Amino acid sequence: MEFDMVNNLILVVPELTLLILACLALVIDTFIKNPASRGGIYWFTQTSLIVTICLIYFYCPHQPTVAFENSFISDPMSTVLKMFICLISFVVFLYSRDYLKENDLLKGEYFILGLFAVLGMMVMVSAYSLLTVYLGLELLSLSLYSMVAMHRDSQPATEAAMKYFVLGALASGMLLYGMSILYGVTGSLQLTVVAEYIVQQSDANHFLVFGLAFVIVGVAFKLGAAPFHMWIPDVYQGAPTSVTLFISSAPKLAAFAMAMRLLVDGMFPLLGDWQGMLIILSILSMATGNIIAISQTNIKRMLAYSTIAHVGFLLLGLIAGSRAGFAGSMFYVIIYALMSMGSFGMIILLGRKGFEADNLDDFKGLAERSPWFAFIMLCLMFSMAGVPPFVGFWAKWFVLKELVAVDMVWLAALAVLFSIIGAYYYLRIVKLMYFDQPTSMLAIKASQQMRLVLSLNGLVILALGLVPNVLMALCISALTR
Amino acid sequence: MFEQIIFYFFAALLVLSAAMVITVRNPVFAALFLVLSFFSSAAIWLMLEAEFLAIVLVLVYVGAVMVLFLFVVMMLDINLSPLREGFARYLPVGIVVALLMVVAMGLVVRSNYFGAGHYYASVPHEAGYSNTTELGNMLYTTYLYQFEIAGAILLVAIIAAISLTLRRVKLNKAMKPEEQVAVKRKDRVRMVKMAPEKREP
Amino acid sequence: MIILSDVLTLAAILFCISVAGIFLNRKNVLILLMCIELMLLSVNMNFIAFSHFLSDIHGQVFVFFILTVAAAESAIGLAILVVLFRNRNTINVNDLGTMKG
Repeated sequence: MEFDMVNNLILVVPELTLLILACLALVIDTFIKNPASRGGIYWFTQTSLIVTICLIYFYCPHQPTVAFENSFISDPMSTVLKMFICLISFVVFLYSRDYLKENDLLKGEYFILGLFAVLGMMVMVSAYSLLTVYLGLELLSLSLYSMVAMHRDSQPATEAAMKYFVLGALASGMLLYGMSILYGVTGSLQLTVVAEYIVQQSDANHFLVFGLAFVIVGVAFKLGAAPFHMWIPDVYQGAPTSVTLFISSAPKLAAFAMAMRLLVDGMFPLLGDWQGMLIILSILSMATGNIIAISQTNIKRMLAYSTIAHVGFLLLGLIAGSRAGFAGSMFYVIIYALMSMGSFGMIILLGRKGFEADNLDDFKGLAERSPWFAFIMLCLMFSMAGVPPFVGFWAKWFVLKELVAVDMVWLAALAVLFSIIGAYYYLRIVKLMYFDQPTSMLAIKASQQMRLVLSLNGLVILALGLVPNVLMALCISALTR
Repeated sequence: MFEQIIFYFFAALLVLSAAMVITVRNPVFAALFLVLSFFSSAAIWLMLEAEFLAIVLVLVYVGAVMVLFLFVVMMLDINLSPLREGFARYLPVGIVVALLMVVAMGLVVRSNYFGAGHYYASVPHEAGYSNTTELGNMLYTTYLYQFEIAGAILLVAIIAAISLTLRRVKLNKAMKPEEQVAVKRKDRVRMVKMAPEKREP
Repeated sequence: MIILSDVLTLAAILFCISVAGIFLNRKNVLILLMCIELMLLSVNMNFIAFSHFLSDIHGQVFVFFILTVAAAESAIGLAILVVLFRNRNTINVNDLGTMKG
């Protein structure tokens, strides 16, 4: 068997480097005895992420290239998503540091497991065979389960970890059952072969749909689409805020990539079949997310339901079934990750030692305490609600436009209706910040870099709203082959 | 014919022991029934010419993972009675749902397609064939990338399990002589500069 | 002669038993973990059957990786279970009163 090692390895240089750096971080962590210098591992982690971003940029091939016997692909979509995943994780770690320090959770394991989770996401994004998709997914999930449980003495955190674990393992089981049927019918684990088989042998299609149903359940679970959303509210509320911040941002990009690889690269000829299933998931998610979020008093839980609603919206782009629709979804998921990161960053900013600002009441009168951060939060909330000048509006707009282009006006109308219902609870936060009396007048205590980056995060949302076409052009170019 | 009888015997054993896993009261029995179901599936895998995996299932699963389960069952002092609440109430619904699922999935997997047409039993491999060698060849060439990822997954499991469960308990309050000897003056005494205080007369 | 649909049916029954087990034992996390093991066993059975009847070794490689991952998964699951038990003195998921599902 001829095996061209060098050409294969060159394509995975970013992943390999990240793996080596994560292992190095593990070794370094064991030599740090002094609790005061625990922060060292943080700097090492951040440097590793920057190095990885640079390597992804330098090692991206000019056209889609496969390696390792068709089980790895490096294409424009994977390059863009990987860079965003590393960038978002970088900001997430930056936000988490203050939180971890104040809650005595600053341990090397948090960052090391975080690096492995990033590695898992990168593997998922470039996966081109069923086996690689599964392994990347498990590397990500196992790291996340243990990060949720990392706060060992907190009851809600360990309960959340247990629920997350059991439901996540169940979802993996479903996904695997679907994969086994796909393998059995097509005789191959490679997504390209699966796609070719579906075109050539259309008589076996309803057996493939049987497998497809299980695969969709697994993907919906990982994305958090209703009715497979049960874990999201509990995990978001129970996990330490820094972990919630992580779970709600970068992994969504990876889950989107997984859906793209499995459904579009692997089973595009079955579009008619998965379209119907996704429509049901999408409507249910938008309905449950937006309606249940209204009655929440805990902001982490409220944002969890808002995630479910956003996932429903994100699926609309996939349902459209066109390249432009997929680009719209990709735009949506990147924007969602940025907004969610900012919102959880605000919760961390307002919290202090022994106090979590996770009730809606904690946002009361923020405009008096800190007009600047109230403005940043206003940007984030308006963007989530989809108010026109902000980028969240454009994300919804691009997706809906493609939906109308394929004559699914009724679905687009339904989506608009649900997002109007959803606007209520985002605007309620704005009302609390600007029109209510503050419950405490304590000054906001946070490190300089956190203030700076959080402000930047809010301003990026505002700026992208003014020039949405920059990012959209990037998404479209990433998805045209 | 003989082959079929053996297959049905182990299949029945597998289904029965799996059913016992989810219904018995005591988690220790459940774990032991799970061991039995692993053994019977290993036997079926042997008949399907997956010798290496059958052995791995027994060695790794029964030998390590199930022992881990038993350790945890024994370590935790579990109060059983509240855990069974609602079991009897849900049992009829559970059985009905499970049967419906079996029928639905059975309709697909028992259709003609998976019968004789496409999938005929392959000719048995010749005597010199080694399943282990074949798997090894695959793992270290075609599946090199995935093999590395699997390594990373195992590493994550090690880090997670250790950092979650390891607690350094101080069992005694003994002194450490080497630390006492190494003490420097600056560790114990801190010189503080103060402005001279004058008492007002 | 073993035929494919028999093995697939066996795997399907096993899969349904594990789903029913998860449904019935929602309170006992230990049994839940065992049900997940059963589910993975049924998936492995599917892969091995297909691999045998397609005369294709790739299915067996997949099973090899599932076994590896499942071992890692159960280690982490049991670790979380131990931490949960230390915190609450119970492994009952249902009376997790602090959170509503």
